[in-house]
Amino acid sequence: MSHRKKKKKGSENVELNLAAMLDMAFQLLAFFILTFKPSPIEGQINLKLPPPLPVAGAPGGQKAGDNDNNKNAVQSFESLVISVFSTPGGKISTMAIGEANVAGVSALEGRLKAVLSDANSPFKQVIIQVASRLKYAELMRVVDVCTRQTLPTGEKLTKLSFVELPTE
Amino acid sequence: MSGSMNSEASAEPNLTPMLDLVFQLITFFMLVTNFKAASLDLNLKLPVVGSARPLETEGEDLLILNIDSVGKLNVYGVTQNVERYIKAEAKVSRASAKRLNPSFKADDDLPTTIVVRADKQTPFNLLNVVIKTCQDNGFRKFALKAMNKEDG
Repeated sequence: MSHRKKKKKGSENVELNLAAMLDMAFQLLAFFILTFKPSPIEGQINLKLPPPLPVAGAPGGQKAGDNDNNKNAVQSFESLVISVFSTPGGKISTMAIGEANVAGVSALEGRLKAVLSDANSPFKQVIIQVASRLKYAELMRVVDVCTRQTLPTGEKLTKLSFVELPTE
Repeated sequence: MSGSMNSEASAEPNLTPMLDLVFQLITFFMLVTNFKAASLDLNLKLPVVGSARPLETEGEDLLILNIDSVGKLNVYGVTQNVERYIKAEAKVSRASAKRLNPSFKADDDLPTTIVVRADKQTPFNLLNVVIKTCQDNGFRKFALKAMNKEDG
């Protein structure tokens, strides 16, 4: 008992110096405040971009004019070609699906829907021929319309190719 | 002399609550700080596309390319030569694909996704240089970045 009493008497009130720890914590806080930059929430459109291939699939590697007796004509067109022309300022001026002109992006959507919803549609990918001056924002409007389409197989259209048109 | 010294009150503020608060703040900033954002060039004005959605890309191999309105490729704030940079990245991607999958052939499509962050004013011919260089080096998977609404 007396031993216990002695121990109690001998114990000291230990006080940590928190000032140094607080200094360090403030340093860390300053670092995190200064490097804090909330990044914007960005969306994305995922695409498979194979290099542009010939529009027509010629069977057996045949070439135009190499055999006059050939009755085995080109079998399928698997790529749908969309042409996008630009104004000098880089905005969309005119557009065409194949040879047919379309009035605007909303008209393009309607036409694409009609072409791709056909169960016999042979198209599996879209080639977008783009005027070299066309701004990226305008191109994305066309890409957006394309990627919203569904192929007759039920897959989303993600296979696109870009071809640059020469400056008009 | 000694009497006057003894009567001086020692003012020691209790720093514990302040330290608690500072640690709370540090924890908050540590959790919300995203060091990945360093690879994004936040000066670029991305196009606005309604259907662009933020996607989970956790674990995917991504190569982020920031392309400004004059077609310069910026990586971590440094302008890079397009051809040299993409060639080097393709080599790295091919090597890592081969390590993960020994049957990977040299002319197979690379598994890396190219994340294109281009300014909305970039003309297509400048953007196409980057896309074509990527395609020539075996990249096929692309993600075009856009905002889904105009900035405030």
